[in-house]
Amino acid sequence: MYPAQIGYYKPDSLGDALDFLEGKDAKVLAGGMSIIPMLKLRILRPKYLVDIGDLKELSFIKEGEVTAIGATTRHRDLASHKIPGLELIQETASKVGDVQVRNMGTVGGSLCNADPSADYPAVFTALEARMVLRSRSGVREVDANEFFKGPFSTSLKQDEVLEQIKVRSLKGYYQTYKKIVRRAGDYALVGLALAIKLDSGIVKDVRISFTGVDEKPYRAREAEKALMDSKLDESKISEASNLASRGANPPSDSRGSSSYRREVMRRLLKNTLEGILNAS
Amino acid sequence: MSYSGKSVKRLYDDKFVTGRSTYVDDLKVNALYAAFVRSTVPHGRFKVSKEDALKVKGVIAVYTGSELNQIIKEGIGPWTTYIDPRPWKIPKWKFAEHETKYNGEPIAMVIATDKYSARDGADAVNVDYETMDAVIDMERASKNEILVHKELGTNIGYEGNFNAGDVEKALANADRRVEVEIGNNRLIPSPMEPRGIISQYDGINLTIWYSTQIPHFARSEFSRIFGIPESRIRVIMPDVGGGFGSKAHFIPEELAVIASSIKLGRPVRWTATRTEEMMATNSRHNVFKGEIGFKNDGTLVAIKGTLDVELGAYLTYTEGLQPTIIPPMIPGPYKVRDLAIKSRAIYTNTIPITMYRGASRPEATFIIERIMSTVADELKMDDVEVRLRNLVKEEQMPYVNPFGLKYDTGDYPTLLKEGVKVMEYNKMKEWAAEERRKGKRVGVGLAFYLEICGFGPYEFAETRVTEDGSVIVSIGGTPHGQGTETAIAQLVADELQIPIEKIKVVWGDSDAVPSGTGTYGSRTLAIAGSAAVASSRQALEKMRKVAARSMKADVEEIEYRNGEFVHKKEGKKVTWDAVAREAYSGREPGVTASVTLEGDVTFPYGVHMAVVEVDDYGIAKVKEYRAYDDIGRVINPALAEGQVHGGGTQAVGQALYELAIINENGQLAVTYADYFVPTAVEAPKFKSYFAEKYHPSAYLTKSKGVGEASLIVGPAAIVRALEDATGKRLNKTPVLPEELIK
Amino acid sequence: MLVEPGQKAKIKVKVNGVLHEVEVEPRKLLVDFLREDLNLTGSKVGCDTSTCGACTVLVDGKSVKSCTMLAVQADGKEIVTIEGLSSDSKLSPIQQAFKDNFALQCGFCTAGMIVQTHYILSERKEITEEEARDLIHGNICRCTGYQNIINAIMDASRRMRQ
Repeated sequence: MYPAQIGYYKPDSLGDALDFLEGKDAKVLAGGMSIIPMLKLRILRPKYLVDIGDLKELSFIKEGEVTAIGATTRHRDLASHKIPGLELIQETASKVGDVQVRNMGTVGGSLCNADPSADYPAVFTALEARMVLRSRSGVREVDANEFFKGPFSTSLKQDEVLEQIKVRSLKGYYQTYKKIVRRAGDYALVGLALAIKLDSGIVKDVRISFTGVDEKPYRAREAEKALMDSKLDESKISEASNLASRGANPPSDSRGSSSYRREVMRRLLKNTLEGILNAS
Repeated sequence: MSYSGKSVKRLYDDKFVTGRSTYVDDLKVNALYAAFVRSTVPHGRFKVSKEDALKVKGVIAVYTGSELNQIIKEGIGPWTTYIDPRPWKIPKWKFAEHETKYNGEPIAMVIATDKYSARDGADAVNVDYETMDAVIDMERASKNEILVHKELGTNIGYEGNFNAGDVEKALANADRRVEVEIGNNRLIPSPMEPRGIISQYDGINLTIWYSTQIPHFARSEFSRIFGIPESRIRVIMPDVGGGFGSKAHFIPEELAVIASSIKLGRPVRWTATRTEEMMATNSRHNVFKGEIGFKNDGTLVAIKGTLDVELGAYLTYTEGLQPTIIPPMIPGPYKVRDLAIKSRAIYTNTIPITMYRGASRPEATFIIERIMSTVADELKMDDVEVRLRNLVKEEQMPYVNPFGLKYDTGDYPTLLKEGVKVMEYNKMKEWAAEERRKGKRVGVGLAFYLEICGFGPYEFAETRVTEDGSVIVSIGGTPHGQGTETAIAQLVADELQIPIEKIKVVWGDSDAVPSGTGTYGSRTLAIAGSAAVASSRQALEKMRKVAARSMKADVEEIEYRNGEFVHKKEGKKVTWDAVAREAYSGREPGVTASVTLEGDVTFPYGVHMAVVEVDDYGIAKVKEYRAYDDIGRVINPALAEGQVHGGGTQAVGQALYELAIINENGQLAVTYADYFVPTAVEAPKFKSYFAEKYHPSAYLTKSKGVGEASLIVGPAAIVRALEDATGKRLNKTPVLPEELIK
Repeated sequence: MLVEPGQKAKIKVKVNGVLHEVEVEPRKLLVDFLREDLNLTGSKVGCDTSTCGACTVLVDGKSVKSCTMLAVQADGKEIVTIEGLSSDSKLSPIQQAFKDNFALQCGFCTAGMIVQTHYILSERKEITEEEARDLIHGNICRCTGYQNIINAIMDASRRMRQ
């Protein structure tokens, strides 16, 4: 439970970090909440760590029609900051880990770690965020849906750094992140990110994304389709909830079995939609 | 001046709140660090190659079992103070040589200059395995198709029959017979401080700093195992960060640390990582299957069945208690006298099992309380009514139970009735029913317990008056968080009628305290406290003699009160402090008195209640936990309450969250992150009451014991509340969300 | 700063008001640096999964788990450990509240609990019991059942407002 020998590079700028990363056996360290436990377990043994945790240029929240969030923005900063039209992000950040983890951990670190039970991946998938990836050879944007490849696996290339996340405002949407845990501070048994736009009871847009139920964030497209342009009522909700739970492939582990998770998914979506129906 | 009965603040808290506490890992000793290579198979032969590890920077040595076992002369054996080894089949347990019996077993040791290098070295040790058939599941192991220890010829380590009365006849005459299956899954005690040890051998004397509950037993076991006289072994227990029974046994890693320090002639230390701690102590896992008989009026008349207790791969120092203490405690506080219980202990290729807070009494209580609730459900009777019908009555006390245990004092029915009132059980039941009508899944449950505790065979205490009149009390008990030292200081201050500030309580150093047994089994305040009262009484008598001498009077003429020795006739006075100074004049009788106080078991009891809420996802929460106990005389209510709170939260863990999953490869498949020890969010709100009209033990302190009460009865109360909330029938712990989801 | 594997990093870090300029291996965890290199053994190591919080310290005023931070990450930062919360043997109101409320038993989690409480109460003056439970859940105690810890936090909060 002690990391293996390692080299360390602390760049003065993102540019320096990208220069260093090129062609090296190096891993990016931001807050360390994901990578340090893996270094301690010696699951990861890179030659170098590139510590971007203190780079001011990567820690920001720029609000607008499209909000840009710097990759090393701490959970704490997101949890204490309401972004109009993206209130979901604050709600999510305040549910990550515990206080100490939120003080140190970064949004980008969590996204790049791509834990299949983590909070943000499902949320940013639902928000259809754009991940801005930068390397020495340029910048590219990847849709969140494309970014997550599998457990602890993303489309980030070795010499790339997640620079920022861009999210279009969902003003006028009901949005929420619900997280079911076995114990406070744990990863989600099942987590649900939901954004829905209603007009006179008719669903105009809806995004449903789960965490903890598959190898990567699970976007419940079938359920969304069922809801779209329909009147949100008990029977629609029931149909959508069934569709959502049927489409996933949840794991069995210490938090619960696959069939149990499926049932939790169904109820979580049902209860959340019913809550919205009752409030609207 | 009276301290006893008051919530006196803990005497030694300053160091803990300021960061000056000293646990084993905090000690500055110029020691090398150990790390262990662990088996990755549940059963197999293995070969260790050291070459690569020896090349690692900082590595001093790599040892295998064959080298270590030249110094480890004898194996780990059962605690013969309490366990009769004769009916047992016991495999030899030293450091693994050539064959490993469980996944996680240490199979090689690396010594290095620091812990990072030691881990580097351990990673560089190469091991070749030739796997053998393993048996992970207890039930399968009982069939003896695959043997954990070939030389034993069986996996059944112990088999005993606990028969009383005529169970067949009682069953035949019963109005109703019902089959039951009741079990507890595997747990991990998880004290906050992982175990740790430092061993230093100077060629003659062996000094061991050890996170333990039993320093004196450790000394005698190390003496036996290493063939060194006890006089040359000093075991020091620094601050210990919790034990819960998990620090009262020895593991091969610790023997290896001692052996390597002897071999190298240099101090060696090892602190378990949490992951290692989780493999060092697994607990519980037992199943009772049988049949009960009862009358239509709710009287339980017969219990018949088989109790299977898992041992894991070896017989630990403490686990032998379980199969012999659970059965005789199954009747508990109830009158049932016809029982037949076959008790078996079974080896498997898994992490060895040890005792955990309550050890055997939680199991027995869970079994009998589930039985009582089963009777209630079958007859649609109230839980309280069923119990009242079956409880032993006060006029039957002292009551000898069907297996010969003598319950000392108590009035069980009255306590139950009082408890129901004080805890507002009926009101809460009504409230829960009302909530359920509104669609919430809320439930209230209670359970009764009778605990056997106080365990002898003896405890040591010494009272020493120093030259300035302050007092050092040495106790053989070994508090490690309970705060018993403060309660004992209260008792001694009252006995000697001096301010508590003048008293220092010391323990846990085998050189400073000549003898002792330790802290476990809710025994310390009763037995060590009584020993301290007795030695203080003798010390006071000696002080009176010195006072008489200094006043040139007969001892009978001297009276002592409130820090002054008074000549009854002449009215002359000498202060306690002056007499203390006088006592150091070099003449008899001195001012030190020690006693080795014999002790016997005592039986506290009580009723606990849980209020639970289960959400739509099957996630349950214990909202409230209330307790009403007769623990004899309460010396420090706040300390006693603390035990109820802490044990109660562990009960919440056992009932709902904690499960040491062992996978098909025999590997512990949970980390500390998903073993789910409760946090402040899962912990209930507590209300703890102690019976004002208590029933004393035979000890001088009149106290009984409270350290384990909540974990003994809590799981049964919580499971009952879950049944109330959900209408389901539940029979084992933990109860997982998927069982509770509608 | 570039440190090759096997080399040590030069860091400057202020701990409990004292500036240290030291060399550390990049792999060294902050908690081990504090305990072994600076002899500040008040912060404890209770787990290896960033779960228990016994190692909680303040880094630039924010509570973090020092078992999940490298010492090199602390370069240029200011750290306060349990040893830095009281001066001249006078207990802080939080330390006193823990003592007065029987909020500890074995004491192993206590340093982390107190540092975290210090952080919680530096962030908010008023606090409810439910909030206290939520904000302290990154610190595990196996002995007390938490009720007395929550009482201590509430008590400390009252004392600090007076």
